[in-house]
Amino acid sequence: MDRRLTALAEQLEAGHIARREFLRRAAVITGGTAAGLHVLRRMASAQGGPKLRVWLFKSYVTAGNDILARQVEEWAKERKVQIEFDWATFGDREQKFVAAIEAGNPPDIAEMNYQGPMRYRPALRDVTKLAKDLAASRGGLLPFAERVVQLDGQYSGIARLVFGGGLHIRKDLLAEKGLKMPKVYDPDVIDVAKKCQDPSKDLWGFGQTLNRCDDGNGFMQNILWDYGGGTWDKDGKPALATTFLKQNLAAIQFAVDTIQKHKVQPPGVMSWTDVSNNEAYMAGKLVCTNNGASLYYAMGAKNHPLYDKTQVILTPGGPAGAFVASNPYTWGLFKASKHAELSEDLVRWVEDEKRFEEYMKACSGQAGPVYKVRAEHPYWKTNPNYEGMLQNILRGVWIGYPGPITPAAIEVQAQYILCDMGGRIVVGGLSPEAALKEAHKRVEDIYRIRSRS
Amino acid sequence: MLARVSVPVTHVGDKAAPSGALALGLKRVLGPDHRMGYLFVLPIFFFVISLVGYPFCYAIYLSMTHKLVGLPPVFVGFENYVRLTWDGFFQRAVVNSFIFTFGSVAFKLVLGVVMAVVLTSPIRWRSFWTGVLLIPWVAPTVVSALNFLWIFDGSLGVLNYLLVRVFRVLPQGIGWLSEPGTAMASVVAVNIWRGFPFFGISFLAGMKAIPAELYEAAAVDGASVLQRFRHVTLPGIRNIMIIVVLLSTIWTFNDFQIVYILTKGGPGGTTMVMPVLTYETAFGAQRLGEAIAVALYLLPALAVTIMVLARYMRRGRKR
Repeated sequence: MDRRLTALAEQLEAGHIARREFLRRAAVITGGTAAGLHVLRRMASAQGGPKLRVWLFKSYVTAGNDILARQVEEWAKERKVQIEFDWATFGDREQKFVAAIEAGNPPDIAEMNYQGPMRYRPALRDVTKLAKDLAASRGGLLPFAERVVQLDGQYSGIARLVFGGGLHIRKDLLAEKGLKMPKVYDPDVIDVAKKCQDPSKDLWGFGQTLNRCDDGNGFMQNILWDYGGGTWDKDGKPALATTFLKQNLAAIQFAVDTIQKHKVQPPGVMSWTDVSNNEAYMAGKLVCTNNGASLYYAMGAKNHPLYDKTQVILTPGGPAGAFVASNPYTWGLFKASKHAELSEDLVRWVEDEKRFEEYMKACSGQAGPVYKVRAEHPYWKTNPNYEGMLQNILRGVWIGYPGPITPAAIEVQAQYILCDMGGRIVVGGLSPEAALKEAHKRVEDIYRIRSRS
Repeated sequence: MLARVSVPVTHVGDKAAPSGALALGLKRVLGPDHRMGYLFVLPIFFFVISLVGYPFCYAIYLSMTHKLVGLPPVFVGFENYVRLTWDGFFQRAVVNSFIFTFGSVAFKLVLGVVMAVVLTSPIRWRSFWTGVLLIPWVAPTVVSALNFLWIFDGSLGVLNYLLVRVFRVLPQGIGWLSEPGTAMASVVAVNIWRGFPFFGISFLAGMKAIPAELYEAAAVDGASVLQRFRHVTLPGIRNIMIIVVLLSTIWTFNDFQIVYILTKGGPGGTTMVMPVLTYETAFGAQRLGEAIAVALYLLPALAVTIMVLARYMRRGRKR
């Protein structure tokens, strides 16, 4: 207890002061103390500067996460700003954004994926000037990145990086059999898979889920493009079972055949999530699998024996070419923030080329370029696997290709419509044509609903 | 002075007569302390209105809107409900929900009865076994579901390892969560594993309340073990059974964690149930109005089920 209050209590007990006087003095002491503490707290927070709420994305490449967090902290120290960090993961990122935006309490600045600028546009600040400034001093944005962050000339996000990746393949197994690296799925990947796999030893030729996850989404989207098809036509209208029916049928037939006809995929592949192929590959159960650089990074970080036996090559293609979606991660600055200038300053700080270089080098190929200058960095030539990842990014297109990127195109990805289409054939027993038509109807519904807003 | 005082008294008395009669009437109907009663009920009433009534009504309103993240809702009437009615994906989710719920509850009921019967029989270490059987119910669902995700894994799972490598029952592993015949069965199995101890422990409590004399009298009358079970045990736990089935039906119907962690409703919507579809519509599609419509769509059907069961239960009590 406060010494003054103790003394007062003693005086009251000794009858030196009346109860009323005791209460009056006690109220003055406690009230004064509380007011003093309040003033002190305000002074302390005033000394610490404004508080910025920053949401970062926690990727599987932990070294990169640590560097980015440190860079933000250094900026905060330099600018005398308090930082309130929060991390979003693959599993809870969109949920957090939805909850925060709907509650009217979004962060000041957040690291978003490719869906962010389009989906959260009503809540995001127009960052056209900053985005153009950054791009101009870095040789300009690469085409896929430009599409993701900008709509009708207005930028809702600032592109930061693209996850590099490709087909991770066991070069030791291919060398044993005297096989060349595959360039197309059919017949190259199937040949390699069949010749290298040994189901009796639980070694499978190809690990590629069609299930509801980012890996499944990516593959399904790419394979439609590889066969000359796609979900959207060049005007951004649904084309799954109309314009591209024939091409999409061939593509989806191939995807299903890898499981049902060629039998090069492991049991349970249709229930895989994003980490399942990483685990299976690192457990030595796969000859090849498509994945982001996080798999290569994880093997390197753990000194895994397969690190040196793995080559990351260009994602294979099909009859119409080899396509991948290059989906940039972006910075989003929210309208509700009172610290817009500070947020812009923070973006300039972490996107500084020296700082980005430090981050990129720790990311083992995951921090792919969105600016032309960054694509020319010598880092990408230091490892043949990085070269593969870079080329994959550079030839990348955007969700919605060959049309524009739209909220409807984003929602088709977010709802895993293409994965469900594959699942309906493999598990639901539908014919490819029926599954394609069913998915087309869902896409049309989304297009209709999104066109209205 | 007296006259001045008497006037207002008379005046008050004149006016107070009907209100006094009303107060008396209220006292007679609501009891002598009804005013105090209102005071006591007021906080609860306030909490129910603010925490249940308002959100529920607002949810109904939102379900009739086109509400996208960051944009104000646009009233569309019953459009969301009509659209869902004809949506094949939603229809499959409804069917899956009923398969998941009633498949699980039926098995949990049988296993729960078996568990209770075993635990009331004179076995060694009864308390120990009771504790062991309660573990699935006590363990957090997320932990259980993640364990089963690993157990069912096609390549690295322990179930395939045992069946293929150890016992050599199968030549090759099964994709438990990815094949048409096993995906729904697997998620149902996990729900059963998780939920049957609740049935068992509730039935156990009910069975312990049945007077031993009833069994003795039945035995004296020559009833076999099976007959005693049918004519003494089952009627004795009937009401508990109804309550437990009712609660479990509601919980299972709303179970999100097991399906979401194991399959996310996949592959191809094979295990898509209503709670997961609600979640996917809200956070995947980010159509909040439609997501609430998904959640509320079957509410009337569930309410009717609950009312029918409750009525049935009350009728049994009257007998």
